[in-house]
Amino acid sequence: MTAETTDVAPVAKTLDPVTLEVLWNRLLSVANEQQAALMRTAFSTVVRESQDLACGVFDTRAQMMAQSLTGTPGHINPMATGVRHLLAAYPPETLGPGDVLITNDPWMTSGQLNDFTVVTPVFREGRIVGYFGNLCHAADIGGQVFSGEAHEIYEEGLRVPVTKLFDRGEPNHELLKIIRANVRLPDETVGDLYAQASCNDVGGRALLTMMDEFGLESVDPLSDEIIARSERALREAIRTLPDGVYQHEVWSDGFEEPIKIAVTLTVRDDEIDIDFEGSSPQSGRGINVVLNYTHGYASFALKAAVAPDVPHNEGAFRPVHVTAPLGSILNCVDPAAVAARHLVGHFVPSAIFGALAQALPDKLLAGGADPIWLSVWRGEHPENDEPFMTAIFQVGGTGARAAKDGLSTTGFPSGVAGLPAEVIEHLSALVQAKRELRTDSGGAGATRGGLGQATEFWYRGDGPWSVSAMIDRTRFAAQGFAGGGPGGIGEFATDGQPLKPKTVISLQPGQTVLLAPPGGGGYGDPFTRPVDSVLADVVAGYVSMEGAARDYGVVVQYLGTPEQLVRLPERYGVDEEETERLRARERL
Amino acid sequence: MRVSQGDAVGGEGKRLRAGVDIGGTFTDLIVYDDSTGSFVVGKTLTTPDDPSRAIESGLAETLVAAKAPMAALGQIIHGTTLVTNALIERKGAPTALLATEGFRDSLEIGREHRYDLYDLQLEMPRPLAPRYLRFGVPGRTLADGSTLPGHDLDEDYVERLARELAAAGIEAVAIAFLNSFANPELERRAREAVQRAAPELRVSISSDVVPEIREYERTSTTVANVYVQARVEQYLRDLEERLARAGFGGALLLLISSGALATVETASRVPVRLLESGPAGGALAAAAFGAAAGYDDLLSFDMGGTTAKFAVIDRGEPLLAHGFEVDRRYRFKKGSGLPINLPVIEMIEIGAGGGSIARIDALGLLKVGPDSAGAEPGPVCYGRGGTQPTVTDADLVLGYLDPAFFLGGAMSLDVAGARDAIGRDVADPLGLSIEEAAWGIHQIVNETMAGAARVHTLERGGDPGRLPVFAFGGAGPVHGYRITAALGSPRLIVPSGAGVMSAIGFLAAAVAFDFTRSFPGRLDTLDWARVNALFAEMEEEGTVLLASAGLHGEDVTHRRAAEMRYVGQGHEVRVPLPPGPLGAERVPTLREAFETEYLRLYGRLGPPVAVEAITWRIVSSGPRPELHLSTAPEASGDAASARKGTRRAYMPEQGGMRDVPVYDRYRLGPGASFAGPAIVEERESTSVIGPGATVSVDGEGNLVVDVAKAAVAG
Repeated sequence: MTAETTDVAPVAKTLDPVTLEVLWNRLLSVANEQQAALMRTAFSTVVRESQDLACGVFDTRAQMMAQSLTGTPGHINPMATGVRHLLAAYPPETLGPGDVLITNDPWMTSGQLNDFTVVTPVFREGRIVGYFGNLCHAADIGGQVFSGEAHEIYEEGLRVPVTKLFDRGEPNHELLKIIRANVRLPDETVGDLYAQASCNDVGGRALLTMMDEFGLESVDPLSDEIIARSERALREAIRTLPDGVYQHEVWSDGFEEPIKIAVTLTVRDDEIDIDFEGSSPQSGRGINVVLNYTHGYASFALKAAVAPDVPHNEGAFRPVHVTAPLGSILNCVDPAAVAARHLVGHFVPSAIFGALAQALPDKLLAGGADPIWLSVWRGEHPENDEPFMTAIFQVGGTGARAAKDGLSTTGFPSGVAGLPAEVIEHLSALVQAKRELRTDSGGAGATRGGLGQATEFWYRGDGPWSVSAMIDRTRFAAQGFAGGGPGGIGEFATDGQPLKPKTVISLQPGQTVLLAPPGGGGYGDPFTRPVDSVLADVVAGYVSMEGAARDYGVVVQYLGTPEQLVRLPERYGVDEEETERLRARERL
Repeated sequence: MRVSQGDAVGGEGKRLRAGVDIGGTFTDLIVYDDSTGSFVVGKTLTTPDDPSRAIESGLAETLVAAKAPMAALGQIIHGTTLVTNALIERKGAPTALLATEGFRDSLEIGREHRYDLYDLQLEMPRPLAPRYLRFGVPGRTLADGSTLPGHDLDEDYVERLARELAAAGIEAVAIAFLNSFANPELERRAREAVQRAAPELRVSISSDVVPEIREYERTSTTVANVYVQARVEQYLRDLEERLARAGFGGALLLLISSGALATVETASRVPVRLLESGPAGGALAAAAFGAAAGYDDLLSFDMGGTTAKFAVIDRGEPLLAHGFEVDRRYRFKKGSGLPINLPVIEMIEIGAGGGSIARIDALGLLKVGPDSAGAEPGPVCYGRGGTQPTVTDADLVLGYLDPAFFLGGAMSLDVAGARDAIGRDVADPLGLSIEEAAWGIHQIVNETMAGAARVHTLERGGDPGRLPVFAFGGAGPVHGYRITAALGSPRLIVPSGAGVMSAIGFLAAAVAFDFTRSFPGRLDTLDWARVNALFAEMEEEGTVLLASAGLHGEDVTHRRAAEMRYVGQGHEVRVPLPPGPLGAERVPTLREAFETEYLRLYGRLGPPVAVEAITWRIVSSGPRPELHLSTAPEASGDAASARKGTRRAYMPEQGGMRDVPVYDRYRLGPGASFAGPAIVEERESTSVIGPGATVSVDGEGNLVVDVAKAAVAG
């Protein structure tokens, strides 16, 4: 309100529910403005195409008030804790307008050196009124080529301790020089840091406009109210779970040895403890997870399970307590190697859903592909011998839902997007030869698991090329729920020979590489899946005729001629007698 | 500039033009005389079984009111939701897809993105071509446009498929091969093979429909195009015949999603371009009226019964986007619809309208929308069975709407019902008075709209605090003042005829078409001869196309642009290009043009790296007509004579319900001015102005409102 206002507006001075809603919406839109600016000015495909990022707005006590719409859980929550670490190193009273803080310390933020967290204080009349933070995946951070091979973090690239990216508005040229000298893609990496700083500015400007417009001296009372209400709503949701102890375990391929992720959930009234006691010890290779990242995926999974519509902020962390034994795979100790930590961390939600399945029937996903598949390819453009390095994200199928099939080729728990074949071929000398759904890769069930995909790549160049495939579920299939069958496992091979995941593989011209992310698990007894749904799956080729008989007890016949290319649904029939016989027999 | 009708529409005595907008409920019409500015508007119920029937009867009625025969019409400009509906209701032809071998699932795999992080019940878009009708075809083009040696197109296989598809009763075939944007040859040969084998099949190739990089979006757009083609052809043929029988001898033109006009022939060839053409009319009207009133930059705000739409008007033109979604099937969420990558007037649509429902959520907060009571049962005050309080109910309780003068008195509103519903569902649970609760509803729906408009504007490099707001649609003028205040903008403009603005906007469109070629490369190493050849090719296509609409010579302009970015970025900035051949010597100028635009959008330059161009575009267009609607004969410059009386209405700056003067819009002529608070009534809408504002009527009949500095943000 400006001074000219003579009459007091009825609702403008206190945080009644109406004003609160107005201000809260505004904060969410401020965070979305921040993210829009980040994506439009970012350089790496990881940020601008695949959205491997997080943006958020914080109060003066470094509590997250709002996050932007998308992003990945592995970034959002670690960013929220990261802001505290940054401010512990540079206390607010030492900061001035134009200062921007940065770090990629895995233990303070999201658990790998490739992720930079950038935080900017917002000043109003000489006082800090809030902070904007964002976290995104850098194009490169030096060290070994991104893989799981390192034994210590020192091999994985450059570690930037908490420092200033900008000091009173001036770029920290010494830091930028060091970064440029250490990374393979200096323009992209530094270009993204500029984008990370500008998007915080865009958010800061919008926050100041909001404070002026509503006459707010501080956002802290608003923050308290938002956080308290969100916390209360999450507590209400937790209270609907029966008190008790819920356990589950899932297995990751690991680097050499399989890795166990064991979880125990203890529900007490409106609070929940999530403990990972019993999980494997930390690994000698780069698949270790820092507790911050474990916490991020654990609290994400709980919120998605019980209260998906409650806005995400500091309040969502409070009723949830996450612990893991120090030195275990989910709470590794510096200087453990961590680059491929998502391959273990992405199993955390599946483990939690498995445990909660008994308490929340019908609401959760069966086991899915879980970790996103990230492959990093290097070679040279044959036209000009310029080197390229291209990161390709791919995903498999999600687990089935009680009332709906799983989603084919859709990430969970990560929300990142893939890369179009035409963009891959434009940026690199790779040729993608295939990108098809994998028949029979969706776990059988009353509802079917989502399908994985089969992709193939070869190389136009005439020299050596390489791939590092940070992938998982090539040994352990996604498990179904309530009698549903497992999804198909993933495959990584060249010319029929399996390749070793998580390492840099040298390749020769003429080789073709197969990357086939896994399918999701099914939900419920497949013999109860309606015959028409099984028939439709066979017509579409999601399920083979053999699979229909074997897994669903449905005998489908193709009635057309074998040479026909166009096979309409009406050319298929179900042998009802045989189907009845199969389904009855299996029930005995 | 006044456009002579002679060239485009031909014939003596054809002095009138008509705009026809078919919406879900109503078909809106306007008949306009370019030489005098006089106009007549009409509204008639849409006839969904055969929409051309309502056009004929509506035109006949409107022409009677205009005292003119059908033969006096030189042009009918038509926008329709036919294509949108065909896609949403899945009423197109059975359609097959021929894709590059190994990529028949691109259409289903999509971008692999989960568009909502927390929601476990998401659903993905359903492809228009089911998997059993998608086929991989041998033949491979590489990223540079060359054919992979040993992998030429297998034409025999395509012919065989075509014969089988036709025999199986399939009517439409989309062909979308990898990298066809770099070289369309294989797609063209495949189309010929299909036509040789089965000439009855309709075929669309992706390099024709949208020659741009990214196979998923290009394929999806091409499939949608051929999916609706037969229906659109049939409809347009029927409409032409019906109009001819009724005595129409002028030109029928279609508004396309980019806001341009196309001939029936062009629209039949790329029918997917007809998507979103209705809403485009509103943005065109905002641009035209804004320019006439002296504002080249505006924010267009259209609020109806179920949604509100904002569009940024930049330097006299609506901004264009290159992609949108239709048929969002999961909670209307972005990501759950079919991507269509074509130029479309860029709009943000929010689930906030007069019918939006207010309720208290699980957190004890007041929420408004996106659920809507729609037109049936509608708001409680309509008395048609609605029980949940809506925005219109709140506006009525606040005194903004006159219960006895809704739609010019054609419908009376139930105030007591509205008060009861708001009391029960909002005021009591929150412990507020009914007026305070109604104001809360009004405020929250405004903030929802303003918040979306703010992000939308900022994302497009605009400053929402600077752009005047141009408000129309049934509810736009009721909420326009508070929205303008919430955006921090100084000025609101309310045109006359706000209820049929889209149809009016059609009249401001130019015959035009856009062409695109993807040919990416760094400015310092580009093959400029190839770029010049691409431009020559596109200009030739544009010239031929406009000639078919009767436009020749100096009436035709070709505007060029390039999508440019720093090497390594993923989002391009559109940079207007000068005419004439491009070459290495002009690279510094091009880089400077790019950086000027970049600085304007993002406030600071990127790091010192190379700049590349990705896509080359031209828009070939004929002249753009100007609109000057004449004001009603009873209007005068004396505001006092337009005053109808006063009404109790809620003004928070004055502490609540106050007596507020009410004006008759039809009696307010150019030069009239008065101060807020005020209510201005016309048949289809009501403008609400807050205390301290000043209102004047400009030469075009627009209400121009200067917002009070201390206005309470809505």
